[in-house]
Amino acid sequence: MTDGRAIILVVERDPHVRDLEEYFLNDAGYEVEFALDGVAALALARTVHPQIIVTEILVPKLDGLALCRAVKEDPQLRGTAVLVFSILAAEARAREAGADAFLMKPLAERRLVETVRALLASRQHTASRTRRPPS
Amino acid sequence: MKRVHTGSIQTDYVLGGGFPHQSINIVMGQPGTGKTIFAEQMLFENAHGDRPSLFITTLSEPLAKAVRYVQQFAFYDEQKLGTDIQYHEVGSVLTATGPDGLMPWMTDMIKATRPKIIVIDSFRAIHDLATSVPQMRRIVSDLAGLLSAYDVTTFLLGEYTSDDIQRYPEFAIGDGIVELARRPLSTRDERFFRVLKLRGSNYRQGQHAFRIGAKGIELFPRLVSPNVPRDYQPRLERVSTGVAGLDAMVGGGLWSGSTTLVVGPTGSGKTTLALQFMLEGIRRGEQGLFVHFQENPSQLRRAIDSLGMSAETAIASGLHLRYESPVELEIDSIIVDIFEKIRSGEIRRLAVDAIGDLAAAASDAQRLHGYLYALVQHLTVHHVTSLLTFESVSGLTGNAEHEQRFSYMSDNVLQLDRQGNERTRRALRVVKTRHSDHDPDVREFVVREGGARIV
Repeated sequence: MTDGRAIILVVERDPHVRDLEEYFLNDAGYEVEFALDGVAALALARTVHPQIIVTEILVPKLDGLALCRAVKEDPQLRGTAVLVFSILAAEARAREAGADAFLMKPLAERRLVETVRALLASRQHTASRTRRPPS
Repeated sequence: MKRVHTGSIQTDYVLGGGFPHQSINIVMGQPGTGKTIFAEQMLFENAHGDRPSLFITTLSEPLAKAVRYVQQFAFYDEQKLGTDIQYHEVGSVLTATGPDGLMPWMTDMIKATRPKIIVIDSFRAIHDLATSVPQMRRIVSDLAGLLSAYDVTTFLLGEYTSDDIQRYPEFAIGDGIVELARRPLSTRDERFFRVLKLRGSNYRQGQHAFRIGAKGIELFPRLVSPNVPRDYQPRLERVSTGVAGLDAMVGGGLWSGSTTLVVGPTGSGKTTLALQFMLEGIRRGEQGLFVHFQENPSQLRRAIDSLGMSAETAIASGLHLRYESPVELEIDSIIVDIFEKIRSGEIRRLAVDAIGDLAAAASDAQRLHGYLYALVQHLTVHHVTSLLTFESVSGLTGNAEHEQRFSYMSDNVLQLDRQGNERTRRALRVVKTRHSDHDPDVREFVVREGGARIV
């Protein structure tokens, strides 16, 4: 987190979607980082340790589903949730790849922000449970 | 699929339920065809207090005009203005910066207002500011990208002609294209609504008439032939015409659900025959619909009174009269109205006096024939026995095209005639009966107080 704000890594090629995602996520109080392809996203994730990766499936080099699998298999990124946000109706495939949530485009800011909030709340809940001392 | 409703049930029906949610649509039509009203009616229909809709004027109609005229319609709700429905103008930005100013302005507007519907009126006018075709293509492509990225349904209004469909790039990115048209017809105009394209929707093709009234757009979907239900069974019953001697001439009465064309010159007894057919139904407990364009309601009541049943009694017993002045005749509204009454299932007999008036009011004969043909099919499916009168000038009807078509769509054709000058005699001949024997001779048809009969 930067200044206590959660970091969201957005993996997206479409400039309009990127622009709107940045605006609405910033407006909701989150820090936004960008990557244009799956390989760059994985590298950036290992550096900035985002709380959530929001990825389109159709991104170059490493597609969104492959990126999702790579994140889930990477011990350094164990705490990172993946939200697949795609033009494709591929919720089942996203879930199979280990995605924590799926949303279909186009961007509806309320759904996006609510989903991000729910994922963060779920992460915090899991983290507090793992920190709880044994009784 | 989620739909954006237009505020008119009939327009939604034509669109297969409404415009698909998140689509980009073009509403084309010359000035004065009703594009702005169409869009505003839709915005008020969708004002549910959730996200706002934007009505954005460019360089054609001033913002004040769009707001001023909407207030006269029943769908207008002042409470929605400024909150659910926001009017903005981008014309000054476009004048200062050129069309390139549209994209940043629109992006900022989406971020600031988070709209669910955007209307741009007129989008075509923006082309007038472009310095090159590639510039406008880039802007349209960019705009399509933005509007597809966000959860919004868009309507681009414009005074486009059919030639513009090939010329302007917005037609390539449009998911839907609808046209509003106006055609002068004697003392008034006919208006038509047509869907040219609607991705992912099973829409009703063809021209659908509409009018603009206090409620906004009121549309009359084009009548098409019914899908005959699998369990449809023709009723093998004879229906009495109510004219003594005529039933015997057509093999014992008309087949239930059949259509009979009664052709004859003025004064030959067509209206009398049609009224007697209706009153016979009333006597048998069958409701009837009499659609008339010639006699006004008072004249018609007198005519009914002379046929042995008072008009009051007939109406109280289920005779429905539908009068329309031939001057104001709108065939679409009449036929849709007849169709709606037929569909209610209570009408057993129908008479239209005279279909020639419909033909005179129709700007497009082909369209009228299509309508009547579809109506006749619906009558058959609903077991409604009908009688259509047609005034002839010479020959059978004096109009070869109508004669052939009306005769073709009818199961039976009766021809009435007047002979002699000093003492007029009327004559009736059965020209055709489908699935029945008939008496081919010319018989005298006598019209007297109390009704007409065959001698």
